[in-house]
Amino acid sequence: MATAFLSNFNYSDSLTVVGISVCTAIVCEAISWVLIYRTTSYKSLKSSIDKASKKLETMKTDSNPSKLSLKKSKTKKIDRVESSLKESSRDLSLFKFKSGAVVALVLFVVFGLLNSLFEGKAVAKLPFVPARIVQKMSHRGLQGDDPTDCSMAFLYFLCSISIRTNLQKFLGFSPPRGAAGAGLFPIPDPKSN
Amino acid sequence: MKERKSVKFNLQQQQQQHHHQNGHLSPFKFAKLLDPEASWDKDQLGDVLHWIRQVVALVCGLLWGTIPLVGGIWIIVFLVISSGIIYGYYAMILKIDEEDFGGHGALLQEGLFVSIMLFLLAWILVYSLAHF
Repeated sequence: MATAFLSNFNYSDSLTVVGISVCTAIVCEAISWVLIYRTTSYKSLKSSIDKASKKLETMKTDSNPSKLSLKKSKTKKIDRVESSLKESSRDLSLFKFKSGAVVALVLFVVFGLLNSLFEGKAVAKLPFVPARIVQKMSHRGLQGDDPTDCSMAFLYFLCSISIRTNLQKFLGFSPPRGAAGAGLFPIPDPKSN
Repeated sequence: MKERKSVKFNLQQQQQQHHHQNGHLSPFKFAKLLDPEASWDKDQLGDVLHWIRQVVALVCGLLWGTIPLVGGIWIIVFLVISSGIIYGYYAMILKIDEEDFGGHGALLQEGLFVSIMLFLLAWILVYSLAHF
């Protein structure tokens, strides 16, 4: 019945792409949960980052410039908290790297699967004419030159960003804001080693 | 000894409360969303702004798709509406001082990219399903 309902639409493939991408997002989060989020070392790392960034914020806001002698010790303290924060965020991103590899593999396989299913097929119609750079993606592998045809790659890209990020946020898995500065590949600090 | 134990227990409780505050499971009070007196911490405000943006993106996307609106200009209209709502919300309803939270830029870009993606997704989906 579902297929009969779906075949009413010209672009029912787009729903398939979205559905697959929702499932993938859930599977990826499940993998990350098993590999990272349920471990105690992750929890302690996260709470220490949260604490340190809060502490840093309060220390920076209520600085009192009138007490000169206190100021020096304070900057020292701030430096110490800052470096410990940096260290923990680096640990966190290293920690995430492990599951990141597995998740990337899953995404890659799913993308390959979708590619073989919908190759050269317009899965949706764009209501606007995208810029030329975006067209490279939205018109990838499609015949004809109607710029409003949308390939699977573009739709999958939109889905994977919007659905996955919101799912992470909803589940509370998004990285702590204090660690936002730490990128995927942290620059190793020679002092700490 | 007993005292020490109770102190420890208190600490644990505090930590638990703290944990609940950070998690999404915390008992969230909707009255706070409209209360200009309420105090906000950066994470909470960020989350609230993020979700408002997502909801606005979804509603706009569905609306644009059903009408249907066609043309790139509507992406800009969406951006203006969404940013306007966010700005109006924190500056007029909550009346917070944006300097405490890293300036207008930090507040306005909260969830911006993801909301654009969500908006495009909803718009494209509804448009291609409903009108072809």
